[in-house]
Amino acid sequence: MAALPAPQAFFLPRCEPAGGQRLALFHAPQAPYRGAVLFLHAFGEEMNKSRRMASLASRALAANGFAVLQIDLMGCGDSSGEIEQASWSAWVDDAVAAAQWLQQRHAGSLWLWGERSGCLLAAEAAPRITGTKHFLFWQPQGSGKLMLQQFLRLKMASQMQRGASKGVTEGLLADLADGRVVEVAGYRLSPALALGLAAASLQQPPAAVGASRLVWLEVTSRVPAALLPASAPLLAQWADAGYEVSSQTVAGPPFWQTVEIEDAPELVLATTEQLLQVDAQGQVQTQTQAQTQTQAQPAEPAQARA
Amino acid sequence: MNTEQEVLRLLDEVLSLEGRAAGFTRETHLLGALPELDSMAVVSMITALEDAFGIVVDDDDIDGATFASVGTLVDFVSGKLAA
Repeated sequence: MAALPAPQAFFLPRCEPAGGQRLALFHAPQAPYRGAVLFLHAFGEEMNKSRRMASLASRALAANGFAVLQIDLMGCGDSSGEIEQASWSAWVDDAVAAAQWLQQRHAGSLWLWGERSGCLLAAEAAPRITGTKHFLFWQPQGSGKLMLQQFLRLKMASQMQRGASKGVTEGLLADLADGRVVEVAGYRLSPALALGLAAASLQQPPAAVGASRLVWLEVTSRVPAALLPASAPLLAQWADAGYEVSSQTVAGPPFWQTVEIEDAPELVLATTEQLLQVDAQGQVQTQTQAQTQTQAQPAEPAQARA
Repeated sequence: MNTEQEVLRLLDEVLSLEGRAAGFTRETHLLGALPELDSMAVVSMITALEDAFGIVVDDDDIDGATFASVGTLVDFVSGKLAA
């Protein structure tokens, strides 16, 4: 693949009401332009382990004509704020602000691309974003409650070998319910973030505006491949809500949780193939029209006005 | 779905064992014997088991003994599936 221009790093304008700056990374689209994509990252260590995959896919999408914006949510990565000052609603505000930044500069199809708990954020931010939104979900966790419990488990697991693991998660949940910040694996988690996450769910899809697509991608090494048990009912709910749903499994490792950083190139490929099926005006293309670009094409410079 | 095969597949995947789990038996020791199985990996394993089998694991369900060996882990999952 010909070299892509380097992504542009900048700070999104002051994000109210939480305040502070959010680090954003913009990947300019190669011609022909296909649409805009906002990436909403996963929670905690899953985010860290997924950085490389997010970068690979963002670059692949940019090479295929998509303007891609990645942001670090409040308290995460290089954005301002300590994680304990963050709240779920501040994260939703961040997602909305980032989507609006994209929409002001790039017309046509807008994709909200969530990874794991980022999917919950995408669904919750959507009603505050005007126009048609398509959704791209990577390994969605449909239950914020389960996501939180899986995260809190880090504390219990660290005490497991000492035999002190009973009741730990319950204790953390009780502390949060009482309004106390809890510390888990070096993360200081506020009730505003934890309880907001716990209340989030993919079960009640946002109302579809116009012809909206949901692309649901899962990575598995199972043979024969199958979607996770929890996925089918959620997919049905989104279909019932008027979304054109496309779900797919690809072969690969669970890179968001593996001990070593691993790649899932099939996921990058499936992502670009699926998104290329919808053109910049939101029209679904036929197979012959949508061809995955493996060569970056020379283009008029796509200027992003930060 | 063969529970033991599925559990071994998940172990290999999450711990990045690159195929070594294929040689594990029920007697293979896990927690304390596999260096890859630290507390973070334990959590990832529980998450992977929950997602793959569609079960919910409460803290009180498990302790160090659950992860003692392949056999104890498989029996734990079978028990949750039967419940």
